[in-house]
Amino acid sequence: MGEHGAIRLESLTRSYGRVVALDDVDLEVRAGEMMTLVGPSGSGKSTILRLIAGLDRPDGGRILVDGQDVSQVPPHRRAVAMVFQDFALYPHLTVLGNLLFGLRVRRVRRDEADRRARSAAERLGIGDLLDRYPDQTSGGQRQRIALARALLREPTVYLLDEPLASLDAPLRFATRADLLALHRDLGTTTVHVTHDQAEAMTLGDRVAVLDRGRIRQVGPPQQVYDEPADMFVAGFLGSPPMNLVPGGAVLGGSRGLILGIRPEDLTLDVDGSIEVTVDVVEALGSESILLTRGADGTRLTVRAGPRCGARPGETVRLRPNPDRVHHFDAETGRRR
Amino acid sequence: MTSDRGRKPLTAWAFLAPYAVAVGLLIAVPALLNLGYAFTDHTGLTRDPQFVGLSNVRRMLDDGFLLDSVRASAIHLALAVPLRLLAAVGLGLLLAAPRPGGRWFRVAVYLPTVVPDVALAVLFLWVLNPLYGPLNQLLGLFGHSGFTWLSDPGTARVGVALMLMFPIGEGFLVVLAARRMLDGRLYEAAALEGCGPFGQLRRLTLPLLAPVLLLLAVRDTILTLQVNFVPAYVLTDGRPSNATLYLPVYIFDQAFEFSGFAYGALITSVLMVVTAIVITALLLVVRRWRVLR
Repeated sequence: MGEHGAIRLESLTRSYGRVVALDDVDLEVRAGEMMTLVGPSGSGKSTILRLIAGLDRPDGGRILVDGQDVSQVPPHRRAVAMVFQDFALYPHLTVLGNLLFGLRVRRVRRDEADRRARSAAERLGIGDLLDRYPDQTSGGQRQRIALARALLREPTVYLLDEPLASLDAPLRFATRADLLALHRDLGTTTVHVTHDQAEAMTLGDRVAVLDRGRIRQVGPPQQVYDEPADMFVAGFLGSPPMNLVPGGAVLGGSRGLILGIRPEDLTLDVDGSIEVTVDVVEALGSESILLTRGADGTRLTVRAGPRCGARPGETVRLRPNPDRVHHFDAETGRRR
Repeated sequence: MTSDRGRKPLTAWAFLAPYAVAVGLLIAVPALLNLGYAFTDHTGLTRDPQFVGLSNVRRMLDDGFLLDSVRASAIHLALAVPLRLLAAVGLGLLLAAPRPGGRWFRVAVYLPTVVPDVALAVLFLWVLNPLYGPLNQLLGLFGHSGFTWLSDPGTARVGVALMLMFPIGEGFLVVLAARRMLDGRLYEAAALEGCGPFGQLRRLTLPLLAPVLLLLAVRDTILTLQVNFVPAYVLTDGRPSNATLYLPVYIFDQAFEFSGFAYGALITSVLMVVTAIVITALLLVVRRWRVLR
């Protein structure tokens, strides 16, 4: 399987009226890889997915799958399967009917279709739901039905549009692991869209960060996190986001620079170089987030241990990890 | 909570009361009176109608005109309901998608519904005119010599059904609204699985709209058995050969033209029973075909 499903987007452009959804996007997804597209809403990530699926046509540029230009190929000839955010299950059909839908359209023999549908259902652990209707199942079960339906398509590319967004938090955590396991198991190229930066970090071999129709950075999640290519990526990935401070202020550096440091790279230390006042302490159980303010008004967020002892109003000293200070150009926002 | 619960039915009845009174006075009481009159010698002008037992029923069982009338109504039902539904559903689905100028098409489809029945019927007297009517001229373009529409039993029936294909605005609106409420992603999911426009119509749109279509079918059945009065009265007056002597026309003739109010009342009850039978049959078919889940 691993040899199929390489995707290449070449200067892809798409506008809706005066809104530019995609602006000259180049992206390469390797065969068998899980690529996560992450960005705020309106950044164009779902548009990319719809263009790869063929549900929408680009204004310009090419989409290549396994080296073949598929820009003008209708959706059903593209060997892609899509899992929609709200799952788009057919409400008038039972779970089994939903799984059989595509097989029937493709005129697979009845007994063969039935066998395949049941085995896909078993694989995703929904074998006992086959006679129910979608509105009689839970959110997590619906997600599995949608996945089973995609599985039956036997695609060379899976497209997942915010597959976890409509699940509640505990379920999302469990399902994230299931999705990863399934992807490892199948080894099929997968493009996954999310606006959740935690999901972007955990799912996916590589992540592409988008903003306003442009790709800002592509790379393995940890690398993008450690070396953000610009201030947008630095601010978007990570929660709480990276502290960005003008050059010449508390973090040093010169004018014309913006310096960034992640909250976990600031340590409470009586010998630290930065003196700040604690405004707010958010005790999250496993850690504490301190919102602080320097003498010149610079706000710094600090990630500290669970019982760090700091109290609001207190003055503390912070020691930045000098190896983990990021330098950005104040004009372009690019990394220096 | 308990006091609330105790008050709730009262409040509900209070809100229902104006409607219930109207239904009682304007529908239930007249309907019961009508049923009572069916067994009297009331002419419509009689001061003191007398009970005559089953004599009207006996007359009905021997009435050849009534048989013609029931046949005319049945044929009209079989012709007009499918045609009207097809037009309403077809146009509703076609014009549901946003497209340039769609608004004007939708207005055009609804407009005949606003035209009064009589005006539309008079218009159709012209449309169906064998000498200078546009319909025959249109047929002439295809080399057909045309029909003498309203003088032949078969074409007269078609003529009335054709006219009734135009006032379909309400059904059209219902289909339009119902189609627009369907989730577009279902269609995208189906397209990804290789389902073309026709397959989407068959596998998604029609099954998803089934409850609405059933409602329209039931409503149109009731309507079609009743609203054919005006066109038949203006276009054909029940002729030729009683081909358009639909039950409402026959009832009107009996009750008000021939002073047989009691007999008209009896046939009205028959029309109600016929309507009930048709709708029951419709619902049985629907259950049998498992149209609704």
